[in-house]
Amino acid sequence: MTINGKYWRIALGIAVIAALIIVPMNFNRYGLYILSQWAVMTIAAMGLNLTLGYAGQVSLAQGAFVGIGAYTAAIMTTQGLPLIAALGVAIVLCFAIGWILGYPALRVQHHYLAFVTLAFSTLAFLVFRNEDWLTKGIYGISGIPRPNVLGFATNRPLPFYYFCLGSLAIVSLAMWWLIRSPWGRAFVALRENPVRALSLGIDTRRYTLMAFAIGSALGGVAGTLYAPLTQYIDPVPFNLSLSLDLLMMVIVGGSGFFFGPFLGAMIAVLLPEWLRFTQGYYLMLYAVAVMLLLIYSPTGILGILDRYLAERRTKAASALRAVAKSRLETAP
Amino acid sequence: MRSGFFAGLLLATVSATAAFAQGAPIKLADVAELSGGGATVGNNWKNGIDLAIEEINAKGGVLGRKLEVTHADSQSNPGVARAQVQKALDNEPYVLLGPGYSGSVKVTSPLAAEAGIAQIMGGEAAELTQGGNKFLFRTSFGQQSSMPKVAKYINDELKAKSVAVVWVNNDFGKGGRDVITKEFAKYNIKVAADLSTEAGQADFAADVSKIKAAAPDAVFIYLNEEESARILKELKRQAVTVPLMGETTLVGQKVVELAGDAANGARGHVGLTTDAPVDLVKAFREKFVKKYNYVPDHNGLKGYLAIYMIKATTDKMGKVDPKAFADTLHGLTIKAANEPGILMDVTFDEKGDIDRQGFLVEIVEGKQVVKQVLPKLN
Repeated sequence: MTINGKYWRIALGIAVIAALIIVPMNFNRYGLYILSQWAVMTIAAMGLNLTLGYAGQVSLAQGAFVGIGAYTAAIMTTQGLPLIAALGVAIVLCFAIGWILGYPALRVQHHYLAFVTLAFSTLAFLVFRNEDWLTKGIYGISGIPRPNVLGFATNRPLPFYYFCLGSLAIVSLAMWWLIRSPWGRAFVALRENPVRALSLGIDTRRYTLMAFAIGSALGGVAGTLYAPLTQYIDPVPFNLSLSLDLLMMVIVGGSGFFFGPFLGAMIAVLLPEWLRFTQGYYLMLYAVAVMLLLIYSPTGILGILDRYLAERRTKAASALRAVAKSRLETAP
Repeated sequence: MRSGFFAGLLLATVSATAAFAQGAPIKLADVAELSGGGATVGNNWKNGIDLAIEEINAKGGVLGRKLEVTHADSQSNPGVARAQVQKALDNEPYVLLGPGYSGSVKVTSPLAAEAGIAQIMGGEAAELTQGGNKFLFRTSFGQQSSMPKVAKYINDELKAKSVAVVWVNNDFGKGGRDVITKEFAKYNIKVAADLSTEAGQADFAADVSKIKAAAPDAVFIYLNEEESARILKELKRQAVTVPLMGETTLVGQKVVELAGDAANGARGHVGLTTDAPVDLVKAFREKFVKKYNYVPDHNGLKGYLAIYMIKATTDKMGKVDPKAFADTLHGLTIKAANEPGILMDVTFDEKGDIDRQGFLVEIVEGKQVVKQVLPKLN
């Protein structure tokens, strides 16, 4: 990457962030709701991206962790406790459960692991639905308050969107740091070649559990934002289809790419909304679009970009080589 | 160039005036379960709405203005329903229609109330109209008004002392089960078995065995239509002979078609049914079948009635005023003699609950037979 390229990237980043802050100021409540939903789903998908994209563990339980976070927030805030307390509890709870759920991952891999996590997902749904005393069962919990952040009420859609965006920014920074830390490199090593990682002295057991636990905790963070966003939760949105949706976001965006979940969540949340003008066909068109994308690029949207950049680099390198070769030949 | 500019300006002014003129269409917004678990509910509701609007527009509309509706899909998910209702409200509709699932109603009704727009919905959970929301209206009986009638019938007519309750574990089924269990307690009727089943469940052998083991005097069945048919077949197969009692979903036309002989003898309280012995309802059913090629369930009727509620209320006000709509509809009695589209006389109370005649029906040789007409209360 040249210096020039680096500046371009920073400029692009600033432009996108500025746009995310400024453009929605004129949005109606619906647009803000969808964007807030995007921010929340991105956080959950980032968690899954860590588990799946970086550490290579297939999980179909991310939706359940969003549910656990959402129920924690709903139960605690309707009892008058602040959302920040709920956030703490949700993170600890999801981290602990994610850690325990990670144990099967030490023994089974790939689709076997997917089935274990699928079972967990169903289990969580049944708990949400059947344990009336805690979750109010199928009736759901309504009247979930929105928090006050640093003295600002977030009842209106715009402040709440900024709250979601701010949370996304914090999570993104933490993630950026994490994947550049030795931990992040250990996660990648785990995905690429666990045996070699082990022989290099990486405690694969601990890192596998850690990948699951951190990914799950981020699901919990997304959940604690989801509850005050909709202000009503029932068990239905947290069934297996949410886990599949999140999995799709990660894969469509580009699994293992930092910005993959951002794009993936955009496709999953915004594309169906854009396609709504086609009335009864929108879900079909959406499905077809996703299939076509994955046929064209199994590594997701960022995979296309990555391929393009790699090609350009190869071309540039071969051009340099050719020049060097011709110089060598013409040299006396 | 200059004349072009003025022409454009003129055109803009003309179209702007036209938009505010009396002749502009009245905008309605519908958010319903068009896909997902509630697709049958939502599509019946939508078709009922479209049919009513087509009829009204063919006759010149409401106060000389056409009705226009947009349909949005909630995917049977409360989170999506909230987004779609928000979108609908941002466009300032005259009245909001839907959703049909009680959970989706719960998440959206505060938004409509905040916007001051009346919401006519299909949810039947008892609690919906008990939170003091001044903008929410039902199109059918809430469970708090239908279940007492069922419990009374089980006590007075069937003289049952113990009842097995089979319900589907979603907000519809659980709501009904909770209300009827409370009613049973009033009559000292014992719940012999309390069986929760899944939506879409295919096999009821185990549940029916449990019913047999409990040996109740009657069985109360509160499931969706397909599952009702399946359990009726299984009850017949395992030779359960005690009376079977239910609600609209146990004795519908679809259940009879699916269950065949096994449906005979099933009884139920029905608030809205296309089999009602009312000429206007029969005529509605014919029109619906002609347009869509299938017999609607009660959700089709609900959607149809929602539109005629709007028409009657607007005619009564004599103007299109979204702010005064809810106030006018509270306490309003709409008579079928004046507004045939409402099908049966109906009164709305201060909570938005409905008062209308109901029916106790029994399936006899594959036909719904009305055993008792439960009159309108006031």
